[in-house]
Amino acid sequence: MTQLRPDAFEEPAVRLEAVALSYGASEDILSGIDLVLKPGSFSFLTGASGAGKTSLLRLLYLAQPPSRGEVSLFGRPTSRLKRDELSALRRRVGVVFQEFRLLGHLTAYENVALPLRVMGKRDSQYRADVEELLAWVGLGERMHARPATLSGGEQQRVAIARAVVTQPDLLIADEPTGNIDPEMGARLMRLFLELNKRLRTTVIIATHDLALVRQIEAPVYRLANGLLVREAGRAGETARRRTDSVRAE
Amino acid sequence: MRARESSLLPVEDAREAALFFVVGALCFLAALAALTAKSTYGAARAWTAEVEGELTVTLPGLDPAGAARAMILIRDTDGVAEARLFTREEIDALLEPSFGTRDLPESLPVPQLVGVTAAQGAAGLAGRLSETLAEAGYDNAVDAHSEWAGDVRRMLGTARMAALSIVILLAATAVAVIAFATHAALLARRDIVDVLHIAGARDRFIAGLFERRFWLLGLRAGLSGSLVALAATGLVIAAARAGGGRSGLLPQLSLDLPDFVILIVTPVIAGLAARAAAHITVIRALRAMM
Repeated sequence: MTQLRPDAFEEPAVRLEAVALSYGASEDILSGIDLVLKPGSFSFLTGASGAGKTSLLRLLYLAQPPSRGEVSLFGRPTSRLKRDELSALRRRVGVVFQEFRLLGHLTAYENVALPLRVMGKRDSQYRADVEELLAWVGLGERMHARPATLSGGEQQRVAIARAVVTQPDLLIADEPTGNIDPEMGARLMRLFLELNKRLRTTVIIATHDLALVRQIEAPVYRLANGLLVREAGRAGETARRRTDSVRAE
Repeated sequence: MRARESSLLPVEDAREAALFFVVGALCFLAALAALTAKSTYGAARAWTAEVEGELTVTLPGLDPAGAARAMILIRDTDGVAEARLFTREEIDALLEPSFGTRDLPESLPVPQLVGVTAAQGAAGLAGRLSETLAEAGYDNAVDAHSEWAGDVRRMLGTARMAALSIVILLAATAVAVIAFATHAALLARRDIVDVLHIAGARDRFIAGLFERRFWLLGLRAGLSGSLVALAATGLVIAAARAGGGRSGLLPQLSLDLPDFVILIVTPVIAGLAARAAAHITVIRALRAMM
């Protein structure tokens, strides 16, 4: 008799069914995309520049609807949800943008606290957590600096801290280690793994950094010509760091 | 002590300073137009009420003694509240536009004039006066001002409507400008809106940020416009008073409670219009997003 795993009845964190995306009358950027990310899974998304990684991630963090097909998050088909319900879903998703998208008039601290303010929390409720997180990403001394005075790597760390501060159920990161040194990159990957293991955060990281992909044993999805192909790893598994990698702990 | 949380929208920039100026100027003009409309309305009411109760009796070929006898008849006529014989100086002043400032010869046959104020609700007084005087043997002509006051009333009504139209036009222009500027501000801050939207901010949360910003901008700009309008009106009143008081045909120049209500309401309307424009613009833009 077949043994069922405990999460067998859990709704996928992400389900894409026959998803296609095009802008206007142009050709499909993505077509026929089927993807299931189980809760607590860790995955990579790779592909050449312009392959559509960012477009696929935009569908996942509900920045735009697909042209065809259905995107479901946490078991809820997003095409059938009301606007407030979509907002509630977005609060369960942390996003690291490739271009950071920090608000220039806010300090590093305020940028990190932004999702908590959006959730209606008060400064006194989150100050200690935000300060601790900023210290953890090495910005404890720079929390009152504005983005314009931060280096690219520092801005990226602020963006990552902002994405994880709410301990989201789904973390989507677009080239999260592109601007930082390998040591800090390893440290941030460890943060993602911690979130994945301890809080069962579903993590998907878009990157073309194959060295980063090789550090962690996890499924790799590759986008090419608008199609998505699974390359390695077991779908839905929790990630493991390879023993010969990331010695920066 | 910890710093207060920053606003999620940046502090106002040059665009908002320009908008502040435009809204302030529109509110100044709107307040001034409203004050003018109100003043014209009040003056028209007072002036027509005053004019409609006035009659002038012309008595040709009478000397002052004969005029005094006629005055007794006039005062005793039913419906007369008050009657006053014009002095020679007053008659000369009336003739001055036609005959110049030099003294008129005594031989010139100048009629005697009696100003009559009708009692409240007195109807047909002109006819009664004319009849009474004629029966007593006095040649007379009675000029009831109400006969031509209607033209003046219509003219003042037109002026009032013009002022009200200007108020409405200026208010509509202010709302359109604010809506346009809000839309421009939203486009300029699209990055902020995007980040908040993706962070899970509800539409009303994002709209609320812009609503608060533009409510305060409209209120402050409107207040500035109102204060400048108050100062301008004060200067006009002071200049009019320094120049010898009001002319009978000009609106009453003063600032009373309704004027202050107009000056207080103007910035509130500007703020509410700005807030409504911001709400509509932002919600419409957000609806275009997923």
